[in-house]
Amino acid sequence: MAKLTIADLKKIKEKVLSEVSLREGGQRAKITVHMGTCGIAAGARQVMDSLMGEIAEAGATDILVTTSGCAGMCSKEPMVTVEILGREPILYGQMDANKMRQVFRRHVLLGEVQTMFAMARI
Amino acid sequence: MKVFRSHFLICGGTGCHASGSINVRRALQEEIDKRGLSGEVKVVETGCNGFCALGPVIVAYPEGVVYLSATPDDIPELVEEHLVKGRILERLLYKEPITHEVIPRMHDIPFFALQNLIVLKNRGVIDPENIDEAIARDGYAGMAKALTEMAPEQIIKEVLDSGLRGRGGAGFPTGLKWKFCSQTPGDLKYILCNADEGDPGAFMDRSVLEADPHAVLEGMVIAAKAIGAHQGYIYCRAEYPLALHRLDVAINQAKEYGLLGENILNTGFDLDIEVYQGAGAFVCGEETALMTSIEGKRGMPRPRPPFPAIAGLWGKPSVLNNVETFANVGQIILNGASWYNAIGTERSKGTKVFALTGDVANVGLVEVPMGTTLGQIVYDIGGGIPGGKKFKAAQLGGPSGGCIPIEHLNTPIDYERVTELGAIMGSGGLIVMNEDKCAVDMARFFMDFVQDESCGKCTPCRAGTKRMLDILTDITQGMGKEGDIELLEEMGEIIKNASLCGLGQTAPNPVLSTIRYFRHEYEEHIREKRCRAVVCSALFKSPCQHTCPAGMDVPAYVALVRAERFDDAYKVMLRTNPFPSVCGRVCDHKCQSKCRRSNLDEAIAVKFLKRFVADHATKPKTAPAPVTRKQKIAVIGAGPAGLTAARDLALRGYKVTVFEELSEPGGMLRWGIPAYRLPRDILASEIKDNIEDLGVEIKCNTRVGREISFEKLDSEFDYVFLATGAHKSQSMRVQGENLSGVFGSVEFLRDFNNNEEDWLSGKKRLGTKVAVIGGGNSAIDAARVALRLGADVTILYRREKKDMPAAEEEILAAEEEGVKIEVLVAPLKIEDKDGKVCGITCERMHLKDFDKSGRKIPGAITGSGFTLSVDAVISSIGQAPDMSFVPKESGVGISKWSTFELARGSKSQTANPKYFTGGDALTGPDTVIGAIAAGHRAAREMDSCIRMENGEPAYQEPPEEEIEVPFILDEESVEAPQAKMSELDPARRRRDFAEVELGFERMQAVKEACRCLRCDAEID
Repeated sequence: MAKLTIADLKKIKEKVLSEVSLREGGQRAKITVHMGTCGIAAGARQVMDSLMGEIAEAGATDILVTTSGCAGMCSKEPMVTVEILGREPILYGQMDANKMRQVFRRHVLLGEVQTMFAMARI
Repeated sequence: MKVFRSHFLICGGTGCHASGSINVRRALQEEIDKRGLSGEVKVVETGCNGFCALGPVIVAYPEGVVYLSATPDDIPELVEEHLVKGRILERLLYKEPITHEVIPRMHDIPFFALQNLIVLKNRGVIDPENIDEAIARDGYAGMAKALTEMAPEQIIKEVLDSGLRGRGGAGFPTGLKWKFCSQTPGDLKYILCNADEGDPGAFMDRSVLEADPHAVLEGMVIAAKAIGAHQGYIYCRAEYPLALHRLDVAINQAKEYGLLGENILNTGFDLDIEVYQGAGAFVCGEETALMTSIEGKRGMPRPRPPFPAIAGLWGKPSVLNNVETFANVGQIILNGASWYNAIGTERSKGTKVFALTGDVANVGLVEVPMGTTLGQIVYDIGGGIPGGKKFKAAQLGGPSGGCIPIEHLNTPIDYERVTELGAIMGSGGLIVMNEDKCAVDMARFFMDFVQDESCGKCTPCRAGTKRMLDILTDITQGMGKEGDIELLEEMGEIIKNASLCGLGQTAPNPVLSTIRYFRHEYEEHIREKRCRAVVCSALFKSPCQHTCPAGMDVPAYVALVRAERFDDAYKVMLRTNPFPSVCGRVCDHKCQSKCRRSNLDEAIAVKFLKRFVADHATKPKTAPAPVTRKQKIAVIGAGPAGLTAARDLALRGYKVTVFEELSEPGGMLRWGIPAYRLPRDILASEIKDNIEDLGVEIKCNTRVGREISFEKLDSEFDYVFLATGAHKSQSMRVQGENLSGVFGSVEFLRDFNNNEEDWLSGKKRLGTKVAVIGGGNSAIDAARVALRLGADVTILYRREKKDMPAAEEEILAAEEEGVKIEVLVAPLKIEDKDGKVCGITCERMHLKDFDKSGRKIPGAITGSGFTLSVDAVISSIGQAPDMSFVPKESGVGISKWSTFELARGSKSQTANPKYFTGGDALTGPDTVIGAIAAGHRAAREMDSCIRMENGEPAYQEPPEEEIEVPFILDEESVEAPQAKMSELDPARRRRDFAEVELGFERMQAVKEACRCLRCDAEID
């Protein structure tokens, strides 16, 4: 490996920091993928994969992804809740990988609620 | 870039490795792979997280939830719950040791929340074997600044200004050391890191190296630039394999990145660092010995000066700093001296890492600002002492340090204060000791360590430590002599003054410091052959017997219960205690607090077994003791102390008359303790059988100064035993205390016990809503009696429930019956309406610093006043003896606490040699068994005093009836809790004064006796 310079040091810092920022707190948005048995059966796994891919692609470091159990409306699974800090959480239903991609790009990154998939404000 | 939605950080320090974190990590990774989560969840092994006691520790991000003591079997459920379902797995969370509150998040757990991390800022957060993660958290940024922007003088100035002092223990200013070395001319200089951590119980340096080795390397590069060194060594003991491995990985990664080696960061500065493995000799932690060892010779210190800064390794100017010192440096350079010196006390800046071990709930690694008090470290961060035990002392600085006892819990820990108290900061080993640790034995342990580790170069250290160890060993084995303590002190001073290096200069510290704070324990070992902590086993037969004030032979009667020989068991009890039935019911059973069985499961129910024997044995017939001696003895007060003395004296042939003010004998047993705990007939028959039948005359309704004058007493009797107890409630000193409807607890209980019918028929009335002030046994007794009279009762106590002096089982019983307990409340004023109590105004308290007893002092919260509507108040905040019957000219001294004063050097004789005393009247309120012991002692001393005066030989006990004690022991002890005492139903209890505890069944008692481990066994 090439020897580092001070500029390299900073680069490494920035790159790795985004990978480990999860351990620091201070997130801007929280996305919950509902992953009860019903959610997984309906395809929540693919939704999650698509979400993780999007986050990596966007290089977003301030987004917290969590899972939760069944929300009680199994027929509307897979469901995803998006909560931008300081705004009302929005619950999306019957998601798939494509819809997730759209919700991420439009709602999470740009702040436009995707009403066509939204089920409720929580 | 790969983003994960969750990071699982599993601790990979030596502590957690030992508790199984490697297998847990493997299971976690397998489970994650199995569930196809490996793309979203990252598992990282970190260095020591600090919470070693509850390892393996897993921290799950982004939530920051801590899972403790996980095993591989827990992992499938953990992954299922936390990662798949998004729920927290509650059973692996942290539970507060005292409140049992469950706390999921790391930063909410007091152990973490109260720490201030500088040196350990990366612990448990980064993967120590991944240099990128260190860099992400500002690793090497301070070094970059020092190498590019700062001249050596500037670096030294920054470190000087920061106030950083050597963390190896001596506290020498780091910047000054660097300055001396930088000013020494020479082309070749060395920078050395001392990682030869050797104190028993210390593991700070190891943890830093395991969790964040890059911080140490960074500090060394900065120091090297400051002094102009290009070669560095880390001297680390070979017993730290994980630290060595991580250092190796870190050095290689840093070299690969060009952060070590030639032309660091392209700045033209070179530094190579090598790790030198030490063989684990304690003396090699001393700087000159360490350097000698690196040179390949036997590690022995050499005289200073010249100091290493002038002539160190291979005679070249060298700087040696401790691991923790170096770990501070990078951040000081990066954030500036003023950032660092804002933390800490006036002369000790920054933070200090402590390895917290011993008798403390949260064993682990903690970093706190200098000036944090010992109490905060032990109680707030450490979670206090487990098992309801009391704090005794903290040993700071290992074998070179000393102890800090309970009265100094408020001491802010910094270099100066710790030295003033006779300890040293040392490298930061902090061993907490509870009341079950013996000061002498501890000193002996450390002396054994240093005499083993002494290199032998200086005679005082080589031979002196050995001699001191011999003396200490003698003391712990019951062969101590008068003068030993003084000899230890003298030798200690000589060794300190005449040794070359720190090892010898500090070796006597543990001994000198324990003598300073626990001299009375040394004296007890030497004079009374007593070890109050029951550690020095050569001094006693069994811990229970040694702990009982009256020395009851517990293992013997427990063994006789096992053999179902209850009559013999009763006879064994009677040898040392005339009141087995009483003590079987109301003793505070100190014996059980030291029961070895409690290390396995729970103590033996000694008290309940005693009661079982007393209830079921056929009592031996007592024949009157023949009066063979001419001296007439009076005993004033028919309580347990007076009656015990009367019995002993009668057995020795004296004619004894007991004077009692009240209508029946028994003292507090009759007039203080309620009948539901101690039925009257049981007390009365024990007094008759074991005291009166011996020929002791008890004159009731006879108060000295009323029915019989003091002068008459003085002229009619040759010797007098004053055992008048403490029967006067102390004043609360609040307004309204003299209103009708306000009682002192002992006065109330006495009145009730004297006029039971009037109280029960309603002729005498207490009130419907009663407040009881206080937290002692007397407060609980008064509350439970008031409850039985139909009142609604609230106890008001100014500290927390765990601080209440009353027996735990009594508090529990009172609550079961319906007594309410309000804690952190103190009375201000008793309110009245037309001269009758109508309320009590109180204010809320909060707990502040520690008092000398190790409890926190309550302080009022301003503006928190409130009034409780009550129509009676019982004050129970302490009792004092009533000394109004003692004339001034009697020659019997009375202290300012209104207790009797003793003649110098005596344990029961007063200044007037004809008067003896004991029990509560001497000590203030104490226990029944304490009074019984006092009675025995007074009788013994009175008798020997009389015999000495007459020139007679000492009293010879008549031969005791031979009772063979069987020795049956189970091959294996199966864990089993203490047998449960059956009790009356709480709702039933409130109706009358029937005895609450029902006693053991025969089979239950025998089974309980089988749990005894027979500590009295002797191996031939």
